[in-house]
Amino acid sequence: MDFDLTDSQQALVSSLQSMFAPYGEIPDAGRGLKSYFAADLQQKLVNGGFFDAARDAGNLEAALVVMEAARLPVTVETGASALVAPNLLDAPLAGPIALLAGDLSKAQRLLSVARNAIVDTGDGVVLIPIDPDNVEPVETTLAYPYGRFRELPDLSKGRRLGAGAREKLRQWSRVALAAECAGAAESAVIFTNEYIKLRKAFDQPIGSFQAVQHRMAQCWQIMRALRYNALHAAWTGDPVRADLAATYAQMHCQKLVFDLHQFNGAIGITTEYKLHYWTFRLRALQPEVGGSDGAALAVADKLWGAAA
Amino acid sequence: MSVGEPAMEFAWSPEQEAYRQKLKDTVAELLPDNWTTDIAPHSYGSQQQIEYSRTFCAQLAERGLLVQQWPAEYGGGDGDAWQQWILAEEMMLVGEPRGPQYMNVNWIGPALMAHGTPEQKAEHLARIAGGQVIWCQGFSEPGGGSDLAGMTTKAERQDDGSYRINGSKIWTSYSPYADYCFLLARTGAAKKAISIFLIPMSLKGIEVHSFPGLVGKGHLNQVYFTDVAVPEAMRMGEEGQAWPIITYALRFERVSVARFHIGRKVLDRAVAQLQAEGRFNDSAVRVRAGRIAALLEAGRLLSYYVIDQRAKQGSDDVNGNIARVSVSAASMELQAFIMDYTPDALTGGDYVLNEFFRANLSSTIAAGAYEVQLNLIAHGALNLPRSA
Repeated sequence: MDFDLTDSQQALVSSLQSMFAPYGEIPDAGRGLKSYFAADLQQKLVNGGFFDAARDAGNLEAALVVMEAARLPVTVETGASALVAPNLLDAPLAGPIALLAGDLSKAQRLLSVARNAIVDTGDGVVLIPIDPDNVEPVETTLAYPYGRFRELPDLSKGRRLGAGAREKLRQWSRVALAAECAGAAESAVIFTNEYIKLRKAFDQPIGSFQAVQHRMAQCWQIMRALRYNALHAAWTGDPVRADLAATYAQMHCQKLVFDLHQFNGAIGITTEYKLHYWTFRLRALQPEVGGSDGAALAVADKLWGAAA
Repeated sequence: MSVGEPAMEFAWSPEQEAYRQKLKDTVAELLPDNWTTDIAPHSYGSQQQIEYSRTFCAQLAERGLLVQQWPAEYGGGDGDAWQQWILAEEMMLVGEPRGPQYMNVNWIGPALMAHGTPEQKAEHLARIAGGQVIWCQGFSEPGGGSDLAGMTTKAERQDDGSYRINGSKIWTSYSPYADYCFLLARTGAAKKAISIFLIPMSLKGIEVHSFPGLVGKGHLNQVYFTDVAVPEAMRMGEEGQAWPIITYALRFERVSVARFHIGRKVLDRAVAQLQAEGRFNDSAVRVRAGRIAALLEAGRLLSYYVIDQRAKQGSDDVNGNIARVSVSAASMELQAFIMDYTPDALTGGDYVLNEFFRANLSSTIAAGAYEVQLNLIAHGALNLPRSA
């Protein structure tokens, strides 16, 4: 076992961080918004070949792309393009890609910016192109763009994938959300940790209070676990590892978001502050692909057999 | 990115797999037929298991498997931290037939290698590597709680250079049957003026009183030291300079028992019982079990991160505290699961579940309380300021 990144993996992370450096702050045009989708950065990721990482190098490298992008306050679509589509499809699919499931009359994450969608129909998987004119943006506190179909798409006209596709879709969607949670949590925890060193109350930094320290230490531990769970699930390609990583990530979203907002105080619920770009991405990911209960049930099915 | 280059690696090497299999085969060969009925249920601190450990560890030693990770000059096989960990996993999985000798292998021996005199190494290391010596650790004191440096047991210098030790240690697992004590005692007024003594438990003036408790047999004892005469040659390291050695030892103690590994076995057993009783179809129970599996998996990876550090650097850092907190969180949830769904484990049911439940009553207190681990993370990883 070796938990260190190889030189080439480290080089990948470094090149991503160089490209992401200008996006460490929300541009003026996006200030005060609940989320800011960086379309130009999305295109740079395509042009740089980063969504080919899974095919060219491996799923762990693809997970690193997702994780690093999720550390940014701006939003880009990486999970579906870097991890899900390459593991599901033989040929590249133009992004941004929305992963749709459930009642398609309801708002869906990333639909308002998507060019294509991968739809979990409940009994299979269908690919459909997205007509922007058929999608209306939806106002939300969640830190992704959301959209709703004006008219429900005709799934029978989409491309239906073969047997086993739904299992693969759920597996890699869970790896992707685990990686995205890991990146967002990392930024939110580090951001908050710096804040509590500086912010004073009762004449001392609030980070000096043990009541704060203990909960921050727990958040730090969770953050570390999220990272290695996600990388492990990507590296092994084992479906149950994906379920375990998603279970862990989604069951800890509540704790992370609650504690980090508590420590930032009221300023954390203003949109001029950065915290919500990460925490409300965690909130958005919390219920996806069945949420932590669904992922935990999938763990139980795989480890101990389906319920009788 | 280039293709074909070694990747970040989460798999066991073929050599590690072979080593694990060898351990499994050896355990299957060595454990007596009455292991699970007459010995293991008493817990690894019990007289039965301690006495058996003298046989079992000697047999492991004969096969070159007890201290494989030690340097060859001390009887080991020049192995690495991963071998030590695989050994811990396999032993824990069958109920820890090494008894308390896991401590000897994990940190008492290595501490001696790093800080012992040639005479101390000669006296102790071969015996530890032979698998027939029992040690206890004299750290905690009555009323001391988590403030280890606040100890009051004193070792006072005598005119002839020897020490006279007075005081008391508490909890002191295995002490009724121990041959030696790895004892901490105050040798100066400064807070951390502490020294280490490697003393035979047979010395005049040492008394052990056991008392009953909720955890397994053999763990709750108080050791009294009354005018115990200790030669200077039994002091390990410089006088008053024990703190770095203690820190080193505690690091290994914190991540030395593969609790996530036994935790998974316990969870599997609890689920098997529920399935046999037709009670594992309830989604609420299945979700709880799946979540605990996820917590254990996180603990496993964070513990492996620590072992990776040890393999590369010889020691670990605050990541040991992080792993400990993670495994503690999983263990607490598993305890609750046992209580909620298989409570008969505590009333004559599955002894493996019962033993896990009891062992974990103290796992968030021993080797630095859960809250001390959080303090250490807050200062060591988050660099948060200390309270005014």
